Amino acid sequence: MQGSTRKVGAMTDVHRRFLQLLMTHGVLEEWEVRRLQNHCYKVHDRNATVDKLEDFINNINSVLESLYIEIKKGITEDDGRPIYALVNLSTTSVSKMATDFAENELDLFRKALELIVDSETGFASSTNILNLVDQLKGKKMRKKEAEQVLQKFVQSKWLIEKEGEFTLHGRAILEMEQFIRETYPDAVKICNICHGLLIQGQSCETCGIRMHLPCVAKYFQSTSEPRCPHCNDFWPHDIPEVFDPEKEREAGISKSSRKSLRTRQH
Amino acid sequence: MLQKPRGRGRPSTQADREREWGDAGEEAPSTSRGTGGTSQGSRASLSSPAVGPRTQKQLEVKVAELVQFLLIKDQKKIPIKRTDILKHVVGDYRDVYPNLLRLAAERLQYVFGYKLVELEPKSHTYILINMLEPVEEDAEVRGDQGTPTTGLLMIVLGLIFMKGNTITETEVWDFLRRLGVYPTKKHLIFGDPKKLITEDFVRQRYLEYRRIPHTDPVDYELQWGPRTNLETSKMKVLKFVAKVHNQDPKDWPTQYCEALADEENRARPAASAPTTSS
Repeated sequence: MQGSTRKVGAMTDVHRRFLQLLMTHGVLEEWEVRRLQNHCYKVHDRNATVDKLEDFINNINSVLESLYIEIKKGITEDDGRPIYALVNLSTTSVSKMATDFAENELDLFRKALELIVDSETGFASSTNILNLVDQLKGKKMRKKEAEQVLQKFVQSKWLIEKEGEFTLHGRAILEMEQFIRETYPDAVKICNICHGLLIQGQSCETCGIRMHLPCVAKYFQSTSEPRCPHCNDFWPHDIPEVFDPEKEREAGISKSSRKSLRTRQH
Repeated sequence: MLQKPRGRGRPSTQADREREWGDAGEEAPSTSRGTGGTSQGSRASLSSPAVGPRTQKQLEVKVAELVQFLLIKDQKKIPIKRTDILKHVVGDYRDVYPNLLRLAAERLQYVFGYKLVELEPKSHTYILINMLEPVEEDAEVRGDQGTPTTGLLMIVLGLIFMKGNTITETEVWDFLRRLGVYPTKKHLIFGDPKKLITEDFVRQRYLEYRRIPHTDPVDYELQWGPRTNLETSKMKVLKFVAKVHNQDPKDWPTQYCEALADEENRARPAASAPTTSS
C-alpha cells in the first residue's frame, strides 16, 4: 500500500458522474472510457477543455487512494487492447464477484481459475472444469447448470471462451492479479518483458521464458529476425501486430473478423 | 482455500466468517450468497485490539470498507440496515460507529456524489440518493439499467399520483392492459410485470403494496413507497405524466397544486442529519 505522498486532487461533478457511470460497468475499453469522459464534460462543463485521459484518471485515483480503490488500466492478453476497471486495492480475493454469484458458483470459478493457472496454455477445457462439479461447496450443482454458470461468467466478462476452452478475461486479471500471485506462487507464469501475470502468451521452446502476445508484438515490432531475449534462439512463433486504435476505428472492423493470431502458441 | 485468514481482533472460525458474509443482507429471493465474501472480511482490515485507541490508518480502512459496502448494497437497490452495517463491516469498531458512518457519508458525497439518507426517520435503514441529476444521454454510456426514470415504474408512480395517491391493483392492470402490459403475460421489455410491480418495486421501497380487507376477490392498494419520495417528487412525476400526454402540468390543477405544495415543503430545511441517529 503506497503512502499518500501523492497530492490529492479535487473532485468535481464531472469526475463524480464519470465515477458513477464507470461503476455501472465491470470493465471498459479505452474508447468507451474516452466517450464516457467526453459525456461527463458535456453535461457539466461544456466549455472546458477535456483533460488528457491519463491525467483525468490520475486525478480521480489520487482521491480514491484513501478509499483503497483505483481505476486500473490493463491490456487484453489476446489482442493488446487497453482496458479499464475500478478495482479494490486492499482485497486479495474474488470480492467483487462475491456479491453477484452464489457460493457454489464462486467455487466453480475458483476451480476453473486454478485449472487455468496450472495449465500450460492458459486454457482449461470445459470437460475438465465440469468434472469438478461434485467437489463444489454449497448447493449441489449439476453439469448442465454448471455449463450455464460458465456462460454467465463469460457474459459478465470474468472468463473468455474459445472453442470449448476457458481462460481469464482481462477484467479478471486486472482485479485478481495480486490474489492469483499470492495464492498460486508456484504455478503462476510471468511475462519476461513486462513482468506481469501471464495467462496466455508465447513461450521460447529452448529456454521456456514466456511473453504476452502484445508484449511480443511490441518487442519484435521492427525486427526482421526475432530472437528470444533470454537465450537468443530464434523465436519460433508468428509475431502479432501491435494494437492500433486508429486503424481499428477507420476500418470499423469487428473483433471477430480481424485476423487474430492463434493465442495458444507454446 | 481462497481466503487468507487475517485476524479481525476477535476469535472467529472459518465457519463463522463464512456464515457472516454468507448472509450479507441478501433477502429471500436472491440466490447470491458470497462465501468469497469471507475474504472481504480478511482484507486490509487490520486486527483491532480489544481495547485501546485505533490508529488513523485502521479507521481509514474501516471507513473505506463501509463506503464499499454501502455502494454495493445500494447498487442492488436494497435499503441498508444498521444491523447489517454493524454485523458485516463495523464489528469491533462499534463504539465509533457514528463517526464511521459520518465519515463514510462524507466520502460518498464528496467522491461519488451520493447522499446517504435514512429511509424514514429513526428507521436506521439507509439508501443512497444521487445528487447528480440523471441525464438522458447517461443511458448510452452506462453498463446497466440505471434507476427507472422512465418505464414501468414511472408509469405506475404517475398513475398513483394522478388518482389521488392511492390506487387498487385492479385499476393498475385495467390501465396497463391498454398499453399491452398484462399481469400474466411475459413482456418484451418489462419481463414479468406482475413480479416487478408487486415484488421488486416493493422490496426496493418504491411502492407500498397492501391488501385491502374484506375484498373478494382479494384486491390490493398501491401507494408511493419511502424511496420514491426521496428519489423523485410529485412535481417531477407530474411533469413526466404531462410529457407523455404532450400537455402542460398546469392542465391538471388539483395535482399541480399538490405538487407545488410538496415543492414548498421540500424547500424548507431538513430536520436532523440522518446519520447521527444511531
